[in-house]
Amino acid sequence: MMKLKALLASGTIALACLATPASHAAGALTVALHQDPGNWDPVATFLVSWGAVGSQIFDGLIVRTPEMKLAPGLATKWEFLDKNSKIRFTLRQGVKFHNGEPFDAEAVKFTFDRLLGEEGKKGPQQSNYTSIEKVVVVNPTTVDFIMKSPDPVLLTKLAGYGAMIVPPRYIKEKGSQYFGMNPVGTGPFKFVEYKPKISLGLEKNAGYWGGAPKVDSLTYRFIAEPATQAAELQAGRVDVANQIPLSMIETIRKDPKLAVVSMDGPVALALRYNTKRGIMQNRDVRKALTMAVDRDAIIKSILLGQAKPIASFQGTLSFGNDPALKPLPFNPAQAQALLKKAGVKPGTPIQLDFRGPDSNFREVAQAVAGYLQAVGITVTLKPYETNVLLNDIIPNGKTGEMWQNQWGGWTFDYDNTAYAMYYTKQRWNPFDDDAKLNALLHQQRNTWDQAARKQTLQQIARYVADQALEMPLYSLNTVYGVNKRAHNLALPADGRFRFVDATVD
Amino acid sequence: MVSGFVLKRVLQAVFVLLVVTLFVSYAVRLTGDPAIMLAQGAGSVTEQDLENIRKGLGLDRPFLVQYGDFVRGALHGDFGRSFMGGTPVARLIGDALPATLSLAGLSLLLSVLVSVPLGIQAAIKQGKGADQFIRIVSLVGLSFPNFWLAIMLVLLLSITFPLLPPSGWDGPASLVMPALTMAIILSATNVRLVRTAMLETLSAQYIMVARAKGLAERVVLYKHALRNCAIPLITYIGLQFGNLIGGIVVVEKVFNWPGLGTLAFDAISGRDYPVLQATVTVLSLVIVLVNLLVDMAYGLVDPRIRSK
Repeated sequence: MMKLKALLASGTIALACLATPASHAAGALTVALHQDPGNWDPVATFLVSWGAVGSQIFDGLIVRTPEMKLAPGLATKWEFLDKNSKIRFTLRQGVKFHNGEPFDAEAVKFTFDRLLGEEGKKGPQQSNYTSIEKVVVVNPTTVDFIMKSPDPVLLTKLAGYGAMIVPPRYIKEKGSQYFGMNPVGTGPFKFVEYKPKISLGLEKNAGYWGGAPKVDSLTYRFIAEPATQAAELQAGRVDVANQIPLSMIETIRKDPKLAVVSMDGPVALALRYNTKRGIMQNRDVRKALTMAVDRDAIIKSILLGQAKPIASFQGTLSFGNDPALKPLPFNPAQAQALLKKAGVKPGTPIQLDFRGPDSNFREVAQAVAGYLQAVGITVTLKPYETNVLLNDIIPNGKTGEMWQNQWGGWTFDYDNTAYAMYYTKQRWNPFDDDAKLNALLHQQRNTWDQAARKQTLQQIARYVADQALEMPLYSLNTVYGVNKRAHNLALPADGRFRFVDATVD
Repeated sequence: MVSGFVLKRVLQAVFVLLVVTLFVSYAVRLTGDPAIMLAQGAGSVTEQDLENIRKGLGLDRPFLVQYGDFVRGALHGDFGRSFMGGTPVARLIGDALPATLSLAGLSLLLSVLVSVPLGIQAAIKQGKGADQFIRIVSLVGLSFPNFWLAIMLVLLLSITFPLLPPSGWDGPASLVMPALTMAIILSATNVRLVRTAMLETLSAQYIMVARAKGLAERVVLYKHALRNCAIPLITYIGLQFGNLIGGIVVVEKVFNWPGLGTLAFDAISGRDYPVLQATVTVLSLVIVLVNLLVDMAYGLVDPRIRSK
């Protein structure tokens, strides 16, 4: 026993010797990111984790501010010409890529030729920009976008992902694969070092056209496990954690050195109904199920308030969200009456399919099952491995009566959701075929008139609610854990960081 | 004689590798489409878009052609590029393999250093207080889920007492907690194993003879007894190495350890076929090699095997 004690004591001393410095150098900012997108080429991925880095290295013609407003980026102004079939962009002058290459109209043309050509075809970005026919150079500081069809979300889409402007000479010389591992852009931070699956190191671009960043260096560390992100935050080794577990929010909030930043986010959840199956064919039954579930209570007790109730499949920031449209109220008595009227026998079984690894949603699903049990519906919970659910069960129409759907686009436009969810034969619409809905969806997509579009989108949301195609659950907050030594982070709801004004003590 | 033995083992290894990779490559293709994983987040994706992505990844070709390509590449040390981003897989493996091997090796070493003396103590004090205590402690150790133990260690050694980095690789200090987690769980089983093997050996007549000769107890235990029960222990520890590599996934996840476990886990959830195939190949190779080493170790500890 004495030996054991001695061993423990010497072990503790050894540990103390290994102790690491608690924080890092001033002027250096560290961010924990849940995933390594594996490639920094704007046309290569569509991952949120790319977006969290992309706007530090690259600029679009347009930028979107943390308040989600569009502002001039590499273009100083733009105007619609020839009955909106042409958009003319005036480019910012004197901008250089990190490698010294000048930014000009040729770079814009090269970027879009690449995105819309063979290189873009291999990646997921191209499909989002197919409304553009081509880009024409008018003079070194002016380009025209020739449009194939109207695209009301185009300006937003020019502020991110595939539309980020890339350096022609560099890519031609080094090739796309090299570029993907050693990115060069015009953005506020320059690439320094990429260690796949471990970290990405950036340093400030002193010559940034929008003013040099205040911190000298910026490091992203890829940490998949939310609990581990939280531990790193608590240990003072990261300044921003982009995913922290709900259960850790209170602990972090109570830590005097740390803060929790929570805001409305892009991700919404719904239980979609299989309208082809059994009792679900009846609209009144679908309404009854929606009314039987107390979604406010679920938000409060399971999601600890980090979500908002929704009436349609979108969050409050989404273009097309209608504050006047209210969620169906929680009313089990009325739900029961509706079920009785529809001839649904007590104990009727239904199945709820969900993403098994999503532990928060597992609890939500259990709560939903409990509420439905109370109105006489017996729910079987069916967890699937996420990819199986997304790749097979949903698109092939093999779901139970209800299935979990989680959706959110960085564009914050209901078009993105509604079209994919409700247009006939879309991947996420295995069951419904509604000519009226198709017409509305088509109509809003083919106009530049934003006011008219907003109205149509609201009409779509009302129609979907009226048909009770889904049980809208909630939109999730975007939650960050932050070390208070970092300031002016301007944390965005869409997770697309841009730390131009950030400082660290 | 020796070359015949080696040749046989090499052929076995090749067979194992082919079967394992063929099965894994085929099975993973049944469970999902990488194109959809890549296109997630892109608003409305048409079948044509997915087709283009698949074509870009070379997934439009027949399975056996894809597999043949993989085997040809692997023979030249080229495992292709990750579907997620296009990083050369060989580079990912090259970074991850040392991380995993050092973690697995250190855990195993720690566990042997702890469990052999404790197991022997338990065996000689059979039925007494020390034995009971060691057995209860090992039972407790056995009952810890590894992820829970990992989180508790982080809480204790990184947050309450900020001694060690909670995750990632920041030099040798980063190795302590993951290795400790694995070692605690391994030791719990190993102590019991050593104890049982020792008890059996200690009841043998040659031990009685050794004691009767008046040899020091230390010599009896470590030279005569331990060496004689080494073969089952080595066999078991060799087998354990395979399990260890499996169990390492969870520990690597919690500690964000940049190893093969994390790589394999991400590759499975992202349907990143090239990375998964390569990881499985390398892991199988490691396990085959370890088993080969175990066989060779028999000769080292037992002169009777050596002379055959």
